[in-house]
Amino acid sequence: MSQTLSRPKVQPWSQSSVASVRPLILASVLPAVFAALVGLLANLDFSVALLVIFVPLQALAAGFVGFKTYGKRGLKDAVLIFVTIFFSMMVMVLLTSVLVSVAVAGFSAMSPQFLSQNNVYVSPTTSLEYGGVGHAILGTLLIVILTTIAAVPLGIAMAVFLTQSNAKHKGIVRTVTQALSGLPSVVSGLFILAIMGFVGIERSGLTGALALFPLMLPTVARVAEESLRLVPSDLRLAALALGAPNYKAFFQVILPAAKSGIITALLLGLARIIGETAPLILTINANNSTNLNPFAEGIATLPTYIYGFLSSGYSTSQARAWGAALVLLLLVALLFGAARIMTRQKSLKTKSTKKAK
Amino acid sequence: MTNSTPSASTLSAEDISVWFGERQVLSNVNLVFPANQVTALIGPSGCGKSTFLRTLNRMHELIPGAGLAGSVLLDGVDIYAPEVSPVDVRINIGMVFQKPNPFPTMSIRENILSGLKLSGRKTANADELVETSLRRASIWNEVKDRLNDQALSLSGGQQQRLCIARSLAMDPKVLLMDEPCSALDPGSTRRIEETIEELSESMTVVIVTHNMQQAQRVSHQTAFFLADENTPGGVVEFGSTEQVFNTPVDPRTNDYVNGHFG
Repeated sequence: MSQTLSRPKVQPWSQSSVASVRPLILASVLPAVFAALVGLLANLDFSVALLVIFVPLQALAAGFVGFKTYGKRGLKDAVLIFVTIFFSMMVMVLLTSVLVSVAVAGFSAMSPQFLSQNNVYVSPTTSLEYGGVGHAILGTLLIVILTTIAAVPLGIAMAVFLTQSNAKHKGIVRTVTQALSGLPSVVSGLFILAIMGFVGIERSGLTGALALFPLMLPTVARVAEESLRLVPSDLRLAALALGAPNYKAFFQVILPAAKSGIITALLLGLARIIGETAPLILTINANNSTNLNPFAEGIATLPTYIYGFLSSGYSTSQARAWGAALVLLLLVALLFGAARIMTRQKSLKTKSTKKAK
Repeated sequence: MTNSTPSASTLSAEDISVWFGERQVLSNVNLVFPANQVTALIGPSGCGKSTFLRTLNRMHELIPGAGLAGSVLLDGVDIYAPEVSPVDVRINIGMVFQKPNPFPTMSIRENILSGLKLSGRKTANADELVETSLRRASIWNEVKDRLNDQALSLSGGQQQRLCIARSLAMDPKVLLMDEPCSALDPGSTRRIEETIEELSESMTVVIVTHNMQQAQRVSHQTAFFLADENTPGGVVEFGSTEQVFNTPVDPRTNDYVNGHFG
């Protein structure tokens, strides 16, 4: 009978001694200190000190320590690890600064009334205590939902055609889809505008949704296609061998297996359209009042609201624009968070039952 | 679903020839699988055993470029007749694949019931069906306390027995098995072999295997397939397992079953 041991506190592969840690500390502190000193003495710009002095020096130091410990192979490892960490941190800083600057600039406009009220009787100089983006939040949701209702089922249907059928002309469909996913949004807006003039339809939320549709469809189709392609063909064969008709094999076996990928497709599609401004400026009447009917009259969205207030030079209107940008970011975060929770439920269930054993 | 004992059927393949595109891979296979008998299909890799097995429940036609001549009769009815639906064929002739392929999004219980759901049938007593099927595949004791766990939480051998149980829940008349033990440890293999023996009491079994001992242990009759280079494969010898292994007529069979080639 074998004995049960307690798990060691330090794993054999992560043992460290003072002797092995000292050069590591030196190699990670010295370049920074040196770069800071040179930078201060020579009065260099921060970015110059960082990129011209610190980065090469730190790569060199990391490489030296790696070489001392593991030889040539250690040198390459250490340099690559440093480069990876440094540049991913740069990107993190960049993205975080975007979020932080929007949050800081938009914070002054934030208030319950800013989220709920509409923009009637608000001029560019009106105090921030009056008016808000309530109408634009509703407008954004209405237009995005309209587009999603049309684009997601059709996009998934295209993905199904591209992955499950044996049709001959799939190549053409795939090429066109890929070409369309690079469509400049303003072109899509102009296209719908031209059709509106030709057929004689008035601007409304619906025409805005129509202009967003060609942008969302290819994104959804491509991502959904990739996720359906990842479902092993074994599963489809297993379902068919159990006497399933094709449609049941798809809906009950293949689609559930690709669920998280399909939700990613939906999210990327949403991300593609929710911040679009140009096609909407061309196809909707961005108004100031609340309009719950997307099929008639003017309707505003957050991006058109931002565009409208940013282009007038007053500080209060700029604050409104930043506030609306923050609301848009939060809205996106909310939608993404909700979708992620929806996809995670299944795997959580597996984990909890495993633990219960 | 009724609880009557499922009736086994006789399956016979007549003059089966198979093509992939323009390339012929099987030529004139004639085999009869009598009711309640276990038939082993043996032969070196690439001789068309698995392909032949797939013609028996119309899975072959799902491969792009597949071609077929000949007929397969289930109790005298041609399963390739125009008025016969492949769905009905597959309900009556179940299949277990080489690699375990439980449905990853379903629990153990849902996997067992998936066949009924997928083929659009109902059962009066789902719990009982789940238990009977799992018992027949001798995996009930290992999973009875975790029927709602994901099927993928099982080990490879358990997953394969789950797939067998899933096929059994359909109450098939014939069960086709394509190297069901090739990825399993000896313990799981032994349990599946015991299962096969019990199954032959209520159904007809056709099993493809590369394991000579397994063929001798589980089967009543054996068919030896062989394909010479660049020629379509075919059956070299077909007879009772005892005869094929102990007194083979064809010298090539003798060489193969004694491990001289292949």
